[in-house]
Amino acid sequence: MSARSPLARIRRYPSAVAGLAIILFLVGVAVYTVVAIPHAQAMADWRGGDQWRMNPANASPVWTNRLFGGNAPPTLTISSDGAEVESAVFEGGRQLRIPLAFDFAYDDFPSEMTLLLSVLGTDRPAFVQATWERPDGSEVRLGAHRIAGEDRIAISRNRALEGRLGQVPHIGLFTDQTGPGRPAVLPGTYRLTLEAVLFDPGAELRAELVAFGRVHGLAGTDHLRRDLMLALLWGTPVALAFGLLAAVGTTVTTLVIAAAGVWFGGLVDATIQRLTEVTMILPVLPVLVMVGTLYSTSIWLMLGVVIALGIFSASIKMYRAMLLPLRNAPYIEAARAYGASDMRIILRYMIPRILPVLIPAFVTLIPTYVFLEASLAVLGLGDPVLPTWGKILNDAQAQGALYNGFYYWVVAPAALLMLTGLGFALFGFALDRIFNPRLRSA
Amino acid sequence: MAMLSPGRDRRLRELSAFGVFVVRRVVALVLTVMVGVYLTIVVANMGGQVDELRLIQIRADVSEAVRGDPGIAPADRAALIEQQVALEVERLNLDQPFLWRSIDYLRRAMLLDLGRAEQMTSDAGSRQVSAIIVERLPATLLLFGTANVLVFVVSILVALGLSRRYGSGLDRTVVALAPTSAAPGWFYGIFLILVFAFVVPVFPPGGMVAVPPPESPLAYALSVLRHMVLPVLAIFISSIFVSIYSWRTFFLIHSSEDYVEMARAKGLPDRMIERRYILRPTLPPIVTSFLLMLIGLWSGAIILEQVFNWPGLGTLLFQAIGFRDTPVIIAGVVIFAYLLAVTVFLLDFLYAALDPRVRLGPDGGGR
Amino acid sequence: MSAPLLAVEDLSLHYRTEAGVLKALDRVSFELDRGEALVFLGESGCGKTSLARALLRLLPRNLAEYSGRVSLGGTDLMALSDERFRREIRWSRVSIVMQAAMNALNPVVRVGEQVAEPLTIHAGTPRAAAMERAARALTRVGVSADFMDRYPFELSGGMRQRVVLAMALITEPELVILDEPTSALDLLTQAGIMNVLKRIKRESGTSFILITHDVGTSSELADHVALMYAGQIVERSPARQFFRTPAHPYGEALMASVPRLRDRTEPQPLEGTPPPLIDPPAGCRFAPRCARRFAPCDRPPPEARLDDGRRALCWLHGGAA
Repeated sequence: MSARSPLARIRRYPSAVAGLAIILFLVGVAVYTVVAIPHAQAMADWRGGDQWRMNPANASPVWTNRLFGGNAPPTLTISSDGAEVESAVFEGGRQLRIPLAFDFAYDDFPSEMTLLLSVLGTDRPAFVQATWERPDGSEVRLGAHRIAGEDRIAISRNRALEGRLGQVPHIGLFTDQTGPGRPAVLPGTYRLTLEAVLFDPGAELRAELVAFGRVHGLAGTDHLRRDLMLALLWGTPVALAFGLLAAVGTTVTTLVIAAAGVWFGGLVDATIQRLTEVTMILPVLPVLVMVGTLYSTSIWLMLGVVIALGIFSASIKMYRAMLLPLRNAPYIEAARAYGASDMRIILRYMIPRILPVLIPAFVTLIPTYVFLEASLAVLGLGDPVLPTWGKILNDAQAQGALYNGFYYWVVAPAALLMLTGLGFALFGFALDRIFNPRLRSA
Repeated sequence: MAMLSPGRDRRLRELSAFGVFVVRRVVALVLTVMVGVYLTIVVANMGGQVDELRLIQIRADVSEAVRGDPGIAPADRAALIEQQVALEVERLNLDQPFLWRSIDYLRRAMLLDLGRAEQMTSDAGSRQVSAIIVERLPATLLLFGTANVLVFVVSILVALGLSRRYGSGLDRTVVALAPTSAAPGWFYGIFLILVFAFVVPVFPPGGMVAVPPPESPLAYALSVLRHMVLPVLAIFISSIFVSIYSWRTFFLIHSSEDYVEMARAKGLPDRMIERRYILRPTLPPIVTSFLLMLIGLWSGAIILEQVFNWPGLGTLLFQAIGFRDTPVIIAGVVIFAYLLAVTVFLLDFLYAALDPRVRLGPDGGGR
Repeated sequence: MSAPLLAVEDLSLHYRTEAGVLKALDRVSFELDRGEALVFLGESGCGKTSLARALLRLLPRNLAEYSGRVSLGGTDLMALSDERFRREIRWSRVSIVMQAAMNALNPVVRVGEQVAEPLTIHAGTPRAAAMERAARALTRVGVSADFMDRYPFELSGGMRQRVVLAMALITEPELVILDEPTSALDLLTQAGIMNVLKRIKRESGTSFILITHDVGTSSELADHVALMYAGQIVERSPARQFFRTPAHPYGEALMASVPRLRDRTEPQPLEGTPPPLIDPPAGCRFAPRCARRFAPCDRPPPEARLDDGRRALCWLHGGAA
């Protein structure tokens, strides 16, 4: 039966194929991400700031909304560039009339409304008056402003306006209901008319009305308006790299140490055993917590500690139990007889014997480390600059995502974590059955 | 010639051999814990934090004592404080090299004299770290103890049953579900909360007992039970399938042992074969793997408790992180190490009690 | 002549493997009288161990076929349900000493306990009485009763084998099957065990089926010999006749390959290997290796009965029987 190549045997197990498919998919995403969104840019973007200012905050993904039959609004930007501006020149300046019109037929209100104004070509402040018109013809005065340079007018935070409307502006301006009960969106064409006076004939006024939506993109946004897709994508290579490096680091070193202990015996073996026991009683997560709190939470430091703790883990006892009987095996004696060095015996004779147990254990170990990294991030001890899945969960927890109904914020990274875990676990368990004949179906 | 019957004589010798084994293990474990705690101290002190802490502690203690003494004039206070501090420093060897002090700290940690917290207090208002910890310990033990016992018992029973029905639909389902344990308990916890506390509000989303806590002990106990359901379920789901899977695989491999076939040939009933010929001989190595699972569970306690707002050691540690309260963090690690050491010992003990080859040594109980 | 103790007719046991159906036992038939020792002789892989399993209904998971008629002292064994078989036949009437007893004893149960087990389970004997009988059974096979309290790993291989034998005899079954009882032991221990068996056969009249490849030890105990080859019984003869003049060419080749103490002739090894049991050849299965093969051997041979009680599956001793 061992004449059949491992690849052929893998194909006979549907769980192995499924696991492998998931792994390859994740690797593909990781590679794509690293190539398409370079590291430096990703870090800079993730740190937040101005580049996200046109995104709504805490918006859910578009597809989840549409999936459940909803029709929530995306972010709408109405610019004066495309509007029909009426201009009238007078002595010392210009008078402008800018209509910003748009159709709104969604079944939910915008999350926020902001008016961006820029006065170009002069440093003399301009005077702007805004009027809101609903489809049913009703008008609301939004107030007058003095604008110099660039200015943001947060319409939705206008307390006075809220008082006048009886609701927050981004709801009140879109409905005609004033009584009790949930207000409904009044569908139709809305118009924000700006009447501006510029005190310089050559000056220009540029206006942008932003009605922030409640849905955004494929993954939604977080409280800092960051597109979650960035973190979801970039979390993939980080998770895979951490998991793999940690698993490889620990497995290889554990193996060599176990073999060395068995082979050299005596004091070496006893020392290794005691070291193993010490490491076994040191709880991994609390120690990481301690290191993270007292020193730094850089992911490399965490990785280092994880590997250090993992090298002398309990697996050593298991490998030792498997290697011990080999020590006096005839073929090892024969190797010594012909003068093989200790290293050679360890590498060429002992280690290959435990590979069938080692490989599945290695594969199943990877998700443990992926979740460990996520655990650290959820605790707030994640790497401060890297966008990882655990970090998303941490933010979500801190912002009370579940209490506010932002389920996507929690489900997306959790689902990815689960997928990664499943992929490797499925593959690993199937490998276990392939390599250990006694576990196969008879 | 009066002589003990050979049987009783043997049993006595076996018992003493077992006793020797137990004592040896305890000694080894104590040493191990010492090394572990010492390592913890060294790591924690590399930033020089521990010493600074103690200096602050001393200063605070002395200042309090001096200020609280009405017989000392305010003008004299500053000088007196400095004097006392210097005395304390000398008494506590803080002017000694680090090696001495670390050993001293080790001694105090082993005796569970864990010092005072920087900012946290116990519910009773004490700053003593040991008091804070003792307050939280039972909650952790209750939750994890229950969950562990549940997983252990259920997985043995199911696995034994499965080893008879190898290849059946139920068997294949369990094998297929084994990879679900890739995700740790807190992970499932989040989903459970999402579904059972928010989408379909059946269970409370966190905490250990309803607020305000019920008066009668029965109602209190019931409330605690109700709050325990989701976290225990989370731990259960994340460990049960792989647990059943590994026990069942083990039983399977051992069902093909010669003595099992012999037992079948002897016409022993199936139940007896399961119990005496499959379960008993394989308990020792399975107990070891159970130990590993336990250790993993303990380690994940921090997050699980935090997710469920369970007031145990885990949340304590989490809060300590938030406060950067170093003595509590260190104490937390030390306590966890103790708990693990106790677990290791218990299971080693069980191992020896179950497998005569271990407790009697390769030569038997003496001839 | 009294009725035979065990009458087996057309017993078949087939395994299902990845390569196909393996016919370990192919319509095997034989009889065993009370107080008689029947030796099954043959190379490894000829189906001997499968025979032991088949008689005790110790069936594997990958079973493809189990059929035939087995009658023990008048009881139709194949007709019994699994539960009745377990309770009434196993150990009460038929017991077995397995190959390589090294591992046949439960490592975590004391020796005395294990030997007494069949009594407490099958006969419901109270524990004290059972332990006493166990002690006696042990002494009977040459193991001191001091070892009752020991664990199996504390005993040597030879002693463990004796313990297993004691365990097999304790319920005083009508038939004891021994599968290679001495193959893993040194010569002296082998001799010891064979002596024990001979004594017990003499004293209690227990019937034995001894399965082995060792011609030497089998000759000590056997009343009759059944020679097995490729899943079939190719010769069935009284012991003395078989060892002197085997009827089947395979038997001849076997005896020729055994070194003799007082004989100068060189032992002649038999060339070749037995045929695979998955798709056995249609005609005589020994034919490819037979020095005396001739034309009819391409067809399945009939059972030839000779006057002195020898029976052989061979064309050489006559046409259709």
